[in-house]
Amino acid sequence: LHDPFAPSPGGDSAYSSGASDQDDDEDESAAEDIDEQEIYDLISSISDPEHPLSLGELAVINLPHIHVTHGTPTPSNPHPMSHVLVEITPTINHCSLATVIGLGVRVRLEQALPTRFRIDVKIREGTHQSTDQVNKQLNDKERVAAACENETLMGVLSNMLATCK
Amino acid sequence: YTDLITRYNLNSKLGTFLSRPNPSDGDLTLSKKNDKAISTIEGGHKRSIRSLAWKPNTKNESVIATASFDSTTGIWHREEHERAPGNKENSAVLDSEGKEEEEEWRFAVVLDGHDSEVKSVAWSAGGSFLATCSRDKSVWIWEEMEGDNYETIAVLQDHSQDVKMVVWHPEDELLASASYDDTIRLYKEDVDDWVCCAVLTGHTSTVWSISFENAGSASRLASASDDQTARVWKRKSRIAAMKPVVQQPSIIKQAEDETEDWEEECCLPKVHSRTIYSIDWSKNTGLIATAGGDGLIIVYQEIKIDNLQPQFGSSSPEWKIVAQIPAAHGVHEINSVAWCPKWDNEGLKTKEEVLLSAGDDGVVNVFEFETDSS
Repeated sequence: LHDPFAPSPGGDSAYSSGASDQDDDEDESAAEDIDEQEIYDLISSISDPEHPLSLGELAVINLPHIHVTHGTPTPSNPHPMSHVLVEITPTINHCSLATVIGLGVRVRLEQALPTRFRIDVKIREGTHQSTDQVNKQLNDKERVAAACENETLMGVLSNMLATCK
Repeated sequence: YTDLITRYNLNSKLGTFLSRPNPSDGDLTLSKKNDKAISTIEGGHKRSIRSLAWKPNTKNESVIATASFDSTTGIWHREEHERAPGNKENSAVLDSEGKEEEEEWRFAVVLDGHDSEVKSVAWSAGGSFLATCSRDKSVWIWEEMEGDNYETIAVLQDHSQDVKMVVWHPEDELLASASYDDTIRLYKEDVDDWVCCAVLTGHTSTVWSISFENAGSASRLASASDDQTARVWKRKSRIAAMKPVVQQPSIIKQAEDETEDWEEECCLPKVHSRTIYSIDWSKNTGLIATAGGDGLIIVYQEIKIDNLQPQFGSSSPEWKIVAQIPAAHGVHEINSVAWCPKWDNEGLKTKEEVLLSAGDDGVVNVFEFETDSS
Protein backbone atom coordinates (compact mmCIF):
# COMPACT_ATOMS: atom_id res chain seq x y z
CA LEU A 1 0.00 0.00 0.00
CA HIS A 2 1.62 3.16 -1.12
CA ASP A 3 0.83 6.65 -0.13
CA PRO A 4 -0.58 8.52 -3.11
CA PHE A 5 0.53 11.83 -1.65
CA ALA A 6 4.13 10.81 -1.31
CA PRO A 7 6.57 13.04 -3.20
CA SER A 8 7.45 11.67 -6.63
CA PRO A 9 10.43 9.33 -6.82
CA GLY A 10 12.53 12.19 -8.19
CA GLY A 11 13.49 12.76 -4.61
CA ASP A 12 16.06 10.00 -4.57
CA SER A 13 18.87 12.45 -4.08
CA ALA A 14 17.07 14.19 -1.25
CA TYR A 15 16.82 10.81 0.38
CA SER A 16 20.52 10.21 0.50
CA SER A 17 21.58 13.71 1.45
CA GLY A 18 18.76 15.04 3.55
CA ALA A 19 19.03 12.71 6.45
CA SER A 20 22.68 12.61 7.21
CA ASP A 21 23.95 16.13 7.93
CA GLN A 22 21.27 17.78 9.97
CA ASP A 23 21.88 15.97 13.16
CA ASP A 24 25.27 16.77 14.58
CA ASP A 25 24.03 18.59 17.65
CA GLU A 26 23.83 15.62 19.95
CA ASP A 27 26.58 16.86 22.20
CA GLU A 28 25.76 17.23 25.86
CA SER A 29 27.00 20.82 26.15
CA ALA A 30 23.62 22.35 25.45
CA ALA A 31 21.94 20.08 27.97
CA GLU A 32 20.64 23.04 29.94
CA ASP A 33 17.34 23.77 28.37
CA ILE A 34 16.37 21.44 25.63
CA ASP A 35 13.94 23.27 23.38
CA GLU A 36 11.53 22.38 20.61
CA GLN A 37 14.13 22.86 17.88
CA GLU A 38 16.41 20.36 19.56
CA ILE A 39 13.63 17.81 19.82
CA TYR A 40 12.82 18.44 16.16
CA ASP A 41 16.42 17.83 15.20
CA LEU A 42 16.43 14.57 17.15
CA ILE A 43 13.38 13.08 15.48
CA SER A 44 12.91 14.74 12.08
CA SER A 45 15.77 12.70 10.65
CA ILE A 46 14.08 9.39 11.47
CA SER A 47 13.33 7.54 8.22
CA ASP A 48 9.81 6.71 7.26
CA PRO A 49 9.36 2.93 7.34
CA GLU A 50 7.77 2.95 3.88
CA HIS A 51 9.28 5.86 2.01
CA PRO A 52 12.87 6.76 1.29
CA LEU A 53 12.34 10.05 3.09
CA SER A 54 12.69 11.36 6.60
CA LEU A 55 9.76 12.17 8.88
CA GLY A 56 10.73 15.84 8.65
CA GLU A 57 10.66 15.79 4.85
CA LEU A 58 7.28 14.08 4.85
CA ALA A 59 5.96 16.67 7.33
CA VAL A 60 5.03 13.87 9.72
CA ILE A 61 7.11 15.76 12.26
CA ASN A 62 6.57 19.52 12.36
CA LEU A 63 8.25 22.02 14.63
CA PRO A 64 5.02 23.81 15.66
CA HIS A 65 3.63 20.47 16.87
CA ILE A 66 6.36 19.92 19.43
CA HIS A 67 5.86 21.29 22.94
CA VAL A 68 8.45 21.30 25.69
CA THR A 69 7.92 22.40 29.30
CA HIS A 70 10.38 22.41 32.16
CA GLY A 71 9.47 22.17 35.83
CA THR A 72 11.13 24.48 38.35
CA PRO A 73 13.05 22.89 41.19
CA THR A 74 11.64 23.54 44.66
CA PRO A 75 13.12 22.66 48.05
CA SER A 76 10.68 19.80 48.45
CA ASN A 77 11.21 18.57 44.91
CA PRO A 78 14.70 19.19 43.60
CA HIS A 79 14.07 16.86 40.65
CA PRO A 80 11.26 18.41 38.66
CA MET A 81 10.16 16.69 35.52
CA SER A 82 10.46 18.06 32.05
CA HIS A 83 7.78 17.24 29.58
CA VAL A 84 7.78 16.88 25.83
CA LEU A 85 4.68 16.38 23.72
CA VAL A 86 5.15 15.44 20.09
CA GLU A 87 2.14 15.37 17.83
CA ILE A 88 2.71 13.46 14.66
CA THR A 89 0.79 13.92 11.41
CA PRO A 90 0.44 10.66 9.49
CA THR A 91 0.75 11.09 5.73
CA ILE A 92 -2.67 9.52 5.20
CA ASN A 93 -5.47 9.17 7.70
CA HIS A 94 -5.53 5.40 7.64
CA CYS A 95 -1.79 4.96 7.68
CA SER A 96 -1.30 1.52 9.18
CA LEU A 97 2.22 2.39 10.19
CA ALA A 98 1.24 5.29 12.43
CA THR A 99 1.92 3.17 15.51
CA VAL A 100 5.35 2.11 14.27
CA ILE A 101 6.27 5.71 13.43
CA GLY A 102 5.08 6.86 16.84
CA LEU A 103 7.05 4.11 18.52
CA GLY A 104 10.15 5.13 16.57
CA VAL A 105 9.76 8.71 17.78
CA ARG A 106 9.27 7.55 21.37
CA VAL A 107 12.24 5.18 21.35
CA ARG A 108 14.47 7.85 19.78
CA LEU A 109 13.50 10.37 22.46
CA GLU A 110 13.83 7.87 25.30
CA GLN A 111 17.34 7.06 24.15
CA ALA A 112 18.42 10.65 23.57
CA LEU A 113 16.77 12.65 26.35
CA PRO A 114 17.72 12.77 30.03
CA THR A 115 15.54 10.60 32.28
CA ARG A 116 13.79 13.62 33.81
CA PHE A 117 11.81 13.90 30.58
CA ARG A 118 8.31 12.52 30.40
CA ILE A 119 7.47 11.83 26.80
CA ASP A 120 4.04 11.88 25.23
CA VAL A 121 3.75 10.96 21.57
CA LYS A 122 0.35 11.50 20.05
CA ILE A 123 -1.30 11.49 16.67
CA ARG A 124 -2.40 15.01 15.86
CA GLU A 125 -6.12 15.42 16.39
CA GLY A 126 -8.12 14.73 13.26
CA THR A 127 -5.30 13.34 11.16
CA HIS A 128 -5.95 9.65 11.62
CA GLN A 129 -9.07 7.52 11.80
CA SER A 130 -8.10 5.72 14.97
CA THR A 131 -6.29 8.48 16.86
CA ASP A 132 -7.44 7.43 20.31
CA GLN A 133 -6.49 3.80 19.86
CA VAL A 134 -3.03 4.60 18.54
CA ASN A 135 -2.44 7.21 21.23
CA LYS A 136 -3.38 4.85 24.02
CA GLN A 137 -1.04 2.21 22.73
CA LEU A 138 1.86 4.62 22.19
CA ASN A 139 1.64 5.90 25.74
CA ASP A 140 1.22 2.57 27.48
CA LYS A 141 4.58 1.97 29.11
CA GLU A 142 4.09 -1.75 29.39
CA ARG A 143 3.14 -2.19 25.74
CA VAL A 144 6.09 -0.09 24.65
CA ALA A 145 8.42 -2.15 26.86
CA ALA A 146 7.04 -5.37 25.40
CA ALA A 147 7.28 -4.02 21.86
CA CYS A 148 10.93 -3.22 22.48
CA GLU A 149 11.53 -6.91 23.17
CA ASN A 150 10.08 -7.84 19.79
CA GLU A 151 12.99 -8.49 17.48
CA THR A 152 11.13 -8.04 14.20
CA LEU A 153 9.77 -4.71 15.30
CA MET A 154 13.11 -3.61 16.68
CA GLY A 155 14.64 -4.46 13.30
CA VAL A 156 12.22 -2.12 11.58
CA LEU A 157 12.86 0.56 14.21
CA SER A 158 16.62 0.35 13.98
CA ASN A 159 16.39 0.87 10.23
CA MET A 160 14.23 3.91 10.81
CA LEU A 161 16.64 5.27 13.40
CA ALA A 162 19.78 4.43 11.42
CA THR A 163 19.59 7.80 9.67
CA CYS A 164 19.72 9.63 13.00
CA LYS A 165 23.29 8.96 13.94
CA TYR B 1 8.29 9.41 57.67
CA THR B 2 11.98 8.96 57.27
CA ASP B 3 13.99 7.52 54.50
CA LEU B 4 15.18 4.01 54.36
CA ILE B 5 15.38 1.83 57.34
CA THR B 6 17.80 -0.99 57.31
CA ARG B 7 16.12 -3.36 59.69
CA TYR B 8 13.83 -4.57 57.04
CA ASN B 9 13.78 -8.07 55.75
CA LEU B 10 12.29 -8.56 52.37
CA ASN B 11 11.96 -12.25 52.84
CA SER B 12 8.52 -11.62 54.23
CA LYS B 13 5.44 -12.12 52.18
CA LEU B 14 5.87 -9.15 49.96
CA GLY B 15 3.60 -7.87 47.29
CA THR B 16 4.29 -7.53 43.65
CA PHE B 17 6.90 -5.35 42.12
CA LEU B 18 8.03 -4.69 38.63
CA SER B 19 11.37 -5.91 37.55
CA ARG B 20 12.90 -3.34 35.32
CA PRO B 21 12.14 -4.14 31.69
CA ASN B 22 15.38 -5.55 30.44
CA PRO B 23 15.39 -7.03 26.97
CA SER B 24 18.57 -9.00 27.45
CA ASP B 25 17.53 -11.36 30.19
CA GLY B 26 14.74 -12.49 32.44
CA ASP B 27 16.56 -12.27 35.72
CA LEU B 28 15.12 -11.01 38.91
CA THR B 29 16.80 -9.74 42.00
CA LEU B 30 15.30 -9.86 45.44
CA SER B 31 16.80 -7.18 47.54
CA LYS B 32 17.11 -6.66 51.22
CA LYS B 33 18.28 -3.48 52.84
CA ASN B 34 19.70 -0.71 50.78
CA ASP B 35 21.48 -1.75 47.61
CA LYS B 36 21.95 -5.27 48.75
CA ALA B 37 20.44 -8.27 47.10
CA ILE B 38 19.88 -11.42 49.11
CA SER B 39 19.31 -13.60 46.13
CA THR B 40 18.89 -13.49 42.42
CA ILE B 41 16.65 -15.74 40.47
CA GLU B 42 18.24 -16.51 37.14
CA GLY B 43 17.24 -18.35 34.04
CA GLY B 44 13.81 -19.81 33.51
CA HIS B 45 12.30 -16.93 31.63
CA LYS B 46 13.32 -15.79 28.18
CA ARG B 47 11.94 -12.28 28.51
CA SER B 48 11.33 -9.69 31.22
CA ILE B 49 9.60 -10.71 34.41
CA ARG B 50 6.71 -8.32 34.84
CA SER B 51 5.60 -9.18 38.34
CA LEU B 52 5.69 -11.83 41.03
CA ALA B 53 3.67 -13.15 43.93
CA TRP B 54 4.70 -14.96 47.13
CA LYS B 55 2.56 -17.93 47.93
CA PRO B 56 0.88 -17.62 51.33
CA ASN B 57 0.87 -20.29 54.05
CA THR B 58 3.85 -22.30 52.90
CA LYS B 59 5.73 -24.55 55.28
CA ASN B 60 9.48 -25.07 55.26
CA GLU B 61 9.79 -23.48 51.89
CA SER B 62 9.15 -20.25 50.03
CA VAL B 63 7.24 -20.28 46.80
CA ILE B 64 7.15 -17.49 44.24
CA ALA B 65 5.15 -17.27 41.04
CA THR B 66 6.60 -15.06 38.29
CA ALA B 67 4.72 -13.55 35.35
CA SER B 68 6.85 -13.03 32.28
CA PHE B 69 6.59 -11.32 28.93
CA ASP B 70 7.67 -14.68 27.46
CA SER B 71 3.99 -15.67 27.92
CA THR B 72 4.69 -18.18 30.68
CA THR B 73 4.27 -18.16 34.43
CA GLY B 74 7.00 -19.73 36.54
CA ILE B 75 6.76 -21.35 39.95
CA TRP B 76 9.93 -21.26 42.06
CA HIS B 77 10.70 -23.08 45.28
CA ARG B 78 13.31 -22.56 47.91
CA GLU B 79 13.75 -24.61 51.03
CA GLU B 80 13.64 -22.65 54.25
CA HIS B 81 15.37 -23.92 57.35
CA GLU B 82 14.16 -23.30 60.83
CA ARG B 83 15.99 -20.36 62.25
CA ALA B 84 16.39 -18.96 65.69
CA PRO B 85 14.29 -15.83 65.94
CA GLY B 86 17.33 -13.88 67.07
CA ASN B 87 19.23 -14.63 63.93
CA LYS B 88 19.27 -11.45 61.93
CA GLU B 89 20.62 -13.03 58.81
CA ASN B 90 17.71 -15.33 58.69
CA SER B 91 17.57 -15.56 54.96
CA ALA B 92 21.15 -16.39 54.22
CA VAL B 93 23.60 -18.85 55.63
CA LEU B 94 27.11 -17.76 56.44
CA ASP B 95 29.74 -20.04 55.05
CA SER B 96 33.16 -20.59 56.61
CA GLU B 97 34.55 -17.37 55.19
CA GLY B 98 31.67 -15.39 56.56
CA LYS B 99 30.32 -14.82 53.11
CA GLU B 100 26.64 -15.08 52.54
CA GLU B 101 25.83 -18.22 50.76
CA GLU B 102 22.87 -17.95 48.51
CA GLU B 103 20.18 -20.47 48.80
CA GLU B 104 18.96 -21.97 45.61
CA TRP B 105 15.70 -21.11 44.00
CA ARG B 106 14.48 -24.07 42.00
CA PHE B 107 12.44 -23.45 38.87
CA ALA B 108 9.77 -26.04 39.53
CA VAL B 109 6.96 -25.52 37.06
CA VAL B 110 6.27 -23.59 33.88
CA LEU B 111 2.65 -22.71 33.34
CA ASP B 112 1.99 -22.51 29.64
CA GLY B 113 -1.19 -21.36 28.04
CA HIS B 114 -1.30 -17.63 27.49
CA ASP B 115 -0.78 -16.43 23.93
CA SER B 116 1.25 -13.37 24.83
CA GLU B 117 2.84 -11.44 27.69
CA VAL B 118 1.73 -12.47 31.17
CA LYS B 119 1.37 -9.29 33.20
CA SER B 120 0.31 -10.27 36.67
CA VAL B 121 -0.01 -13.27 38.91
CA ALA B 122 -1.81 -13.71 42.25
CA TRP B 123 -2.34 -16.50 44.80
CA SER B 124 -5.72 -16.83 46.46
CA ALA B 125 -5.84 -16.28 50.22
CA GLY B 126 -5.46 -19.96 51.02
CA GLY B 127 -2.83 -20.46 48.34
CA SER B 128 -4.80 -23.11 46.51
CA PHE B 129 -5.61 -21.05 43.42
CA LEU B 130 -3.32 -19.07 41.19
CA ALA B 131 -4.64 -16.43 38.81
CA THR B 132 -2.74 -15.04 35.83
CA CYS B 133 -3.62 -12.41 33.25
CA SER B 134 -2.17 -11.44 29.93
CA ARG B 135 -2.07 -9.15 26.97
CA ASP B 136 -4.11 -11.88 25.23
CA LYS B 137 -7.13 -10.38 27.10
CA SER B 138 -7.72 -13.47 29.21
CA VAL B 139 -7.59 -14.30 32.90
CA TRP B 140 -6.65 -17.88 33.82
CA ILE B 141 -7.23 -19.64 37.11
CA TRP B 142 -4.99 -22.57 38.00
CA GLU B 143 -5.39 -25.04 40.81
CA GLU B 144 -2.46 -26.75 42.42
CA MET B 145 -2.67 -30.51 42.29
CA GLU B 146 -0.31 -33.01 43.86
CA GLY B 147 3.33 -33.05 42.92
CA ASP B 148 3.88 -29.67 41.36
CA ASN B 149 1.05 -30.11 38.92
CA TYR B 150 -1.24 -27.26 38.06
CA GLU B 151 -4.54 -27.65 36.32
CA THR B 152 -6.32 -24.91 34.41
CA ILE B 153 -9.74 -24.59 35.95
CA ALA B 154 -10.94 -21.46 34.17
CA VAL B 155 -10.13 -19.29 31.18
CA LEU B 156 -12.05 -16.04 31.51
CA GLN B 157 -12.31 -13.93 28.39
CA ASP B 158 -14.57 -11.11 29.45
CA HIS B 159 -12.17 -8.21 28.94
CA SER B 160 -11.92 -6.66 25.49
CA GLN B 161 -8.27 -5.60 25.90
CA ASP B 162 -5.05 -6.46 27.78
CA VAL B 163 -5.54 -7.44 31.38
CA LYS B 164 -3.06 -5.55 33.53
CA MET B 165 -3.49 -6.99 36.98
CA VAL B 166 -5.27 -9.69 38.97
CA VAL B 167 -5.85 -9.76 42.74
CA TRP B 168 -7.80 -12.07 45.05
CA HIS B 169 -10.15 -11.00 47.79
CA PRO B 170 -8.40 -11.33 51.18
CA GLU B 171 -10.85 -13.99 52.38
CA ASP B 172 -13.44 -14.98 49.84
CA GLU B 173 -12.79 -16.81 46.61
CA LEU B 174 -13.46 -13.68 44.63
CA LEU B 175 -11.05 -12.57 41.92
CA ALA B 176 -10.66 -9.07 40.47
CA SER B 177 -8.95 -8.03 37.25
CA ALA B 178 -8.01 -4.60 35.86
CA SER B 179 -7.68 -3.87 32.18
CA TYR B 180 -6.59 -1.63 29.33
CA ASP B 181 -10.31 -1.62 28.42
CA ASP B 182 -10.82 0.82 31.36
CA THR B 183 -12.87 -1.64 33.41
CA ILE B 184 -12.43 -3.83 36.46
CA ARG B 185 -14.12 -7.22 36.54
CA LEU B 186 -14.93 -9.55 39.40
CA TYR B 187 -15.22 -13.32 39.13
CA LYS B 188 -16.46 -16.08 41.34
CA GLU B 189 -17.37 -19.72 41.13
CA ASP B 190 -20.93 -20.45 40.16
CA VAL B 191 -21.70 -24.12 40.70
CA ASP B 192 -18.84 -25.54 38.64
CA ASP B 193 -17.88 -22.62 36.48
CA TRP B 194 -16.00 -19.46 37.20
CA VAL B 195 -17.98 -16.52 35.85
CA CYS B 196 -17.67 -12.78 35.67
CA CYS B 197 -20.07 -11.52 38.33
CA ALA B 198 -19.52 -7.75 38.17
CA VAL B 199 -18.10 -5.05 35.90
CA LEU B 200 -16.86 -1.83 37.47
CA THR B 201 -16.92 1.07 35.05
CA GLY B 202 -15.97 4.66 35.70
CA HIS B 203 -12.29 5.02 34.94
CA THR B 204 -11.71 6.80 31.64
CA SER B 205 -8.47 5.05 30.77
CA THR B 206 -6.42 1.94 31.51
CA VAL B 207 -6.80 0.58 35.03
CA TRP B 208 -3.26 -0.35 36.06
CA SER B 209 -3.62 -1.53 39.59
CA ILE B 210 -6.19 -2.77 42.08
CA SER B 211 -6.04 -3.71 45.75
CA PHE B 212 -8.61 -5.08 48.20
CA GLU B 213 -9.27 -3.77 51.66
CA ASN B 214 -8.86 -6.22 54.51
CA ALA B 215 -12.33 -6.12 56.03
CA GLY B 216 -13.68 -9.58 55.58
CA SER B 217 -16.62 -9.97 53.27
CA ALA B 218 -17.25 -6.23 53.39
CA SER B 219 -13.88 -5.53 51.79
CA ARG B 220 -13.84 -2.69 49.33
CA LEU B 221 -11.59 -2.43 46.30
CA ALA B 222 -9.23 0.42 45.40
CA SER B 223 -8.10 1.09 41.84
CA ALA B 224 -5.54 3.29 40.10
CA SER B 225 -5.60 4.37 36.50
CA ASP B 226 -3.98 6.10 33.57
CA ASP B 227 -6.76 8.67 33.97
CA GLN B 228 -4.71 9.93 36.96
CA THR B 229 -7.40 9.05 39.49
CA ALA B 230 -7.58 6.48 42.26
CA ARG B 231 -11.02 5.26 43.26
CA VAL B 232 -12.68 3.14 45.92
CA TRP B 233 -15.46 0.69 45.03
CA LYS B 234 -17.84 -1.14 47.31
CA ARG B 235 -20.37 -3.87 47.07
CA LYS B 236 -23.89 -2.51 47.16
CA SER B 237 -25.89 -3.71 50.07
CA ARG B 238 -28.22 -6.58 49.34
CA ILE B 239 -31.35 -4.51 49.66
CA ALA B 240 -30.08 -1.78 47.39
CA ALA B 241 -28.88 -4.35 44.93
CA MET B 242 -32.23 -6.06 44.71
CA LYS B 243 -34.14 -3.03 43.53
CA PRO B 244 -33.07 -2.80 39.91
CA VAL B 245 -33.51 -6.53 39.49
CA VAL B 246 -37.26 -6.09 39.56
CA GLN B 247 -37.13 -3.82 36.56
CA GLN B 248 -34.80 -6.00 34.55
CA PRO B 249 -36.34 -7.57 31.47
CA SER B 250 -36.66 -11.28 31.99
CA ILE B 251 -34.28 -12.12 29.16
CA ILE B 252 -31.39 -10.93 31.29
CA LYS B 253 -30.13 -13.83 33.25
CA GLN B 254 -30.50 -13.09 36.92
CA ALA B 255 -29.39 -16.30 38.48
CA GLU B 256 -29.61 -16.84 42.21
CA ASP B 257 -26.38 -15.51 43.56
CA GLU B 258 -24.31 -15.19 40.46
CA THR B 259 -24.17 -11.44 40.09
CA GLU B 260 -22.77 -8.91 42.44
CA ASP B 261 -23.54 -5.25 42.37
CA TRP B 262 -20.60 -2.93 42.92
CA GLU B 263 -20.51 0.83 42.77
CA GLU B 264 -17.95 3.58 43.00
CA GLU B 265 -17.83 4.88 46.53
CA CYS B 266 -15.45 7.78 46.08
CA CYS B 267 -12.47 9.18 44.27
CA LEU B 268 -9.32 9.70 46.34
CA PRO B 269 -7.99 13.30 46.45
CA LYS B 270 -6.46 14.08 43.08
CA VAL B 271 -2.78 14.86 43.20
CA HIS B 272 -1.05 12.76 40.57
CA SER B 273 -0.27 14.48 37.29
CA ARG B 274 0.75 11.37 35.33
CA THR B 275 -0.43 7.79 35.11
CA ILE B 276 -0.88 6.08 38.49
CA TYR B 277 0.79 2.70 38.10
CA SER B 278 0.27 1.22 41.52
CA ILE B 279 -2.07 1.26 44.48
CA ASP B 280 -1.83 -0.75 47.67
CA TRP B 281 -4.37 -0.87 50.48
CA SER B 282 -2.64 -1.77 53.71
CA LYS B 283 -4.14 -4.93 55.14
CA ASN B 284 -2.97 -3.78 58.54
CA THR B 285 -3.44 -0.01 58.95
CA GLY B 286 -6.06 0.69 56.28
CA LEU B 287 -3.86 3.34 54.68
CA ILE B 288 -3.77 3.49 50.90
CA ALA B 289 -0.60 4.32 48.94
CA THR B 290 -0.34 5.27 45.28
CA ALA B 291 2.60 5.99 42.99
CA GLY B 292 3.11 6.67 39.34
CA GLY B 293 4.75 8.29 36.38
CA ASP B 294 5.07 11.63 38.14
CA GLY B 295 7.50 10.11 40.66
CA LEU B 296 5.18 10.89 43.56
CA ILE B 297 4.14 8.58 46.35
CA ILE B 298 0.92 9.57 48.10
CA VAL B 299 -0.47 8.04 51.29
CA TYR B 300 -4.19 8.48 52.05
CA GLN B 301 -6.13 7.90 55.24
CA GLU B 302 -9.85 7.54 55.57
CA ILE B 303 -11.58 10.13 57.73
CA LYS B 304 -13.75 8.20 60.09
CA ILE B 305 -16.81 10.17 60.95
CA ASP B 306 -18.60 9.07 64.06
CA ASN B 307 -22.31 9.39 64.59
CA LEU B 308 -23.04 8.74 60.98
CA GLN B 309 -26.67 8.46 60.26
CA PRO B 310 -26.78 6.22 57.25
CA GLN B 311 -30.49 6.62 56.76
CA PHE B 312 -29.97 10.20 55.63
CA GLY B 313 -28.70 9.73 52.13
CA SER B 314 -25.28 8.56 51.19
CA SER B 315 -22.64 10.16 53.31
CA SER B 316 -19.70 9.33 51.13
CA PRO B 317 -16.54 8.61 53.06
CA GLU B 318 -13.68 11.01 52.75
CA TRP B 319 -9.99 10.45 52.47
CA LYS B 320 -7.23 12.85 53.36
CA ILE B 321 -3.64 12.87 52.27
CA VAL B 322 -1.34 12.08 55.16
CA ALA B 323 1.96 11.90 53.30
CA GLN B 324 3.45 13.01 50.01
CA ILE B 325 6.86 11.94 48.88
CA PRO B 326 7.87 13.87 45.77
CA ALA B 327 10.61 12.49 43.57
CA ALA B 328 10.67 9.29 45.62
CA HIS B 329 12.94 7.78 42.98
CA GLY B 330 14.57 10.99 41.83
CA VAL B 331 13.64 11.78 38.25
CA HIS B 332 12.39 8.26 37.64
CA GLU B 333 8.90 6.86 37.32
CA ILE B 334 7.56 4.59 40.05
CA ASN B 335 6.02 1.31 38.98
CA SER B 336 4.99 -0.26 42.22
CA VAL B 337 4.25 0.41 45.88
CA ALA B 338 3.57 -2.21 48.54
CA TRP B 339 2.98 -2.16 52.31
CA CYS B 340 4.98 -4.68 54.29
CA PRO B 341 5.44 -5.62 57.90
CA LYS B 342 8.45 -4.07 59.52
CA TRP B 343 10.95 -6.40 61.11
CA ASP B 344 12.74 -5.50 64.28
CA ASN B 345 16.37 -5.99 65.22
CA GLU B 346 15.62 -9.45 66.52
CA GLY B 347 14.28 -10.54 63.19
CA LEU B 348 10.72 -10.56 64.41
CA LYS B 349 7.76 -9.17 62.60
CA THR B 350 6.30 -6.07 64.27
CA LYS B 351 2.88 -4.57 63.98
CA GLU B 352 4.26 -1.56 62.18
CA GLU B 353 4.58 -1.34 58.46
CA VAL B 354 6.97 0.06 55.93
CA LEU B 355 6.19 1.13 52.40
CA LEU B 356 8.23 -0.27 49.56
CA SER B 357 8.48 1.31 46.15
CA ALA B 358 10.11 0.13 42.93
CA GLY B 359 11.16 2.57 40.22
CA ASP B 360 12.53 2.77 36.72
CA ASP B 361 15.93 3.34 38.30
CA GLY B 362 15.92 -0.36 39.22
CA VAL B 363 15.92 0.49 42.91
CA VAL B 364 13.58 -0.62 45.67
CA ASN B 365 13.13 2.06 48.32
CA VAL B 366 11.85 1.49 51.83
CA PHE B 367 9.92 4.22 53.63
CA GLU B 368 9.01 4.22 57.25
CA PHE B 369 5.83 6.05 57.97
CA GLU B 370 4.97 7.30 61.40
CA THR B 371 1.39 7.93 62.30
CA ASP B 372 -0.30 8.69 65.54
CA SER B 373 -3.09 6.27 65.98
CA SER B 374 -5.53 8.90 67.16
